[in-house]
Amino acid sequence: MSRISATFTALNGRPAYIPYICAGDPDEEFSLSLAKRLCDSGADILEIGIPFSDPIADGPVIQEAMQRSLKSGFHVGDVFRLIERLRSQSVPQPVVAMTYYNPILKMGPDKFCRSLSECGGDALLVVDLPPEESSSLLGMARDNELDMIRLVAPSTTDARLEYILSEASGFVYVVSVAGTTGERESLPESAISLIHRVSGKSRLPVALGFGISMPEHVRQAISAGASAVVEGSKLITLYSGLLDDRMKALESVERHAREMMAASFPH
Amino acid sequence: MIGSGYFDGFGGRYVPEVLISALQKLDEEYRRLSPDPEFKQRLNTLLTTYVGRPTPLYFAHRLTDRVGGAKIFLKREDLAHTGSHKINNAVGQALLAKEMGRRRIIAETGAGQHGVAAATASALMGIECEIYMGEVDAERQKLNCYRMNLLGAKLNIVKSGSRTLKDSINEAMRDYASSSEYTHYLIGSVVGPHPYPTIVRDFQSVIGREAKSQMQQITGGLPSALVACVGGGSNSIGLFHPFLEDAEVKIFGVEAGGEGVTTGKHSASVVAGSNGVLHGAKTLLIQDFEGQVLETHSVAAGLDYPAVGPEHAFLNKTGRAKYVAIDDSGALSAFHLLSETEGIIPALESAHAIAFAVELASDMSSDESIIVNLSGRGDKDVDQVARLEGSI
Repeated sequence: MSRISATFTALNGRPAYIPYICAGDPDEEFSLSLAKRLCDSGADILEIGIPFSDPIADGPVIQEAMQRSLKSGFHVGDVFRLIERLRSQSVPQPVVAMTYYNPILKMGPDKFCRSLSECGGDALLVVDLPPEESSSLLGMARDNELDMIRLVAPSTTDARLEYILSEASGFVYVVSVAGTTGERESLPESAISLIHRVSGKSRLPVALGFGISMPEHVRQAISAGASAVVEGSKLITLYSGLLDDRMKALESVERHAREMMAASFPH
Repeated sequence: MIGSGYFDGFGGRYVPEVLISALQKLDEEYRRLSPDPEFKQRLNTLLTTYVGRPTPLYFAHRLTDRVGGAKIFLKREDLAHTGSHKINNAVGQALLAKEMGRRRIIAETGAGQHGVAAATASALMGIECEIYMGEVDAERQKLNCYRMNLLGAKLNIVKSGSRTLKDSINEAMRDYASSSEYTHYLIGSVVGPHPYPTIVRDFQSVIGREAKSQMQQITGGLPSALVACVGGGSNSIGLFHPFLEDAEVKIFGVEAGGEGVTTGKHSASVVAGSNGVLHGAKTLLIQDFEGQVLETHSVAAGLDYPAVGPEHAFLNKTGRAKYVAIDDSGALSAFHLLSETEGIIPALESAHAIAFAVELASDMSSDESIIVNLSGRGDKDVDQVARLEGSI
């Protein structure tokens, strides 16, 4: 059983909180402290974004974070060292590497998967690689015991949903809206109905992401049947204005993350 | 299931899941409409009565005399409505959008030529239009910004990333991800995810079809060579495609060498790029050792793009077309040369093609002939060139 599956099994029905951080924003040391802090505060799974120059699936907040990271000299390969350092600090949570395809292609899919597995990573989520284009990467991910997380969107048809789910492992990432990452006021109806559609076709845990930023979103997602929520842009917004005082920046993120996690416990 | 829309390993559909169903629908609708006689008739009528096709194939005799060698013919896309070949694709896709019931068109633009063409075609169809343009590009092409406004389009200035063409494509794709139910993304070149490289190529192939029959009328045969500039590669693929089966016709794509391909300040993605994925397609692109896309440079804003259409990557791989680079100074000389010898001020983009054609012609015999795609007129560049040369 993969570390992700084991995590969901151990949660025994309690929904998981999955924070997203952008590796290297604004530098590797802060990313390490942030990841450690979130995991120590009780995050269940950690998603680490690898910066890319042209992130078309992301909104302005994550795009700016990626630009800060690249500008600081953070390299794609540095993410493996970041994960390794987390593991050496006894962080046990599963780590999902979220990336665009070009950096993987450039490094070589085989080397990328091997490095991710060796440093202690657990899964791969490639936002711009639909299953039609990913058969060879999928094989390499499996050879290296990495889960391949798949995204589904409100516009995904039923027939396509079955095809995507047939190759998914770990959990299914439900994109809440047609659009990019970033904070939104409320969960759209399309997100709720997509959670139902996915749950009806797969036994994999369903994680809801894109636009999650308030405890109320967590409650809505859970009542719709989601097993997890992913939150990214909001966390970046919280710390990016406070980077002059990093302790304060970390505290601010932790406080918010705890509120989100509190909302995921049954009342 | 395997990926579709490949040119022997290049192309494909590398996009977030939110875009997949919109692209599938576009593909279906395009395949339904493009062979439809009524749709073809409507498009042809617009190309003749609105765009001004066919554009002439002109024998540039004074330029030919000056160079001494092969006869140089110019395919006068600069005489099409709005002043460049961009209108061929814009009208075709706007008609497609209308047929698909879309009430909004979005487009990216670099130099502003495609933005103007998209705004024009949207006005023609009575469809609302929004253009994404990088802040840097908008600054150097102010007149085209005003043109787009004049045509009723809303201009969105893109301030992310390098604030040039590639970022305006990123922004348009983000818009499309959230609006595809009522919006058509009118992409301006043979780039992007499947089916765009095919759709744009089909709409631009009118250039090559006309040139071929015009050449046959004038000389009774085929040209010895074709030359066209390549940014994303739409005017070039439009000229090349109808000649691909004619093995005796040599094909040359001319990329922007900027300050020189060894300086790193260029846009020559075929000549100096490597395999990668950008804007939804596997193709050749200018990137660093870890796959981050690099900023490019060219004196011609319309060539200032870090990737190239996947079909060009394919034609390069098979050797059917050869790709070369002409640097800024070569393009500027050709800009003057054509103006002085023929009374035609070419777009700086097209001046790259002229510069290479001049080199090529001088090594060929006077029995041979070259068709150069004069993809656009140079009025938009006059101000920039005058500044560069210190004349104003």
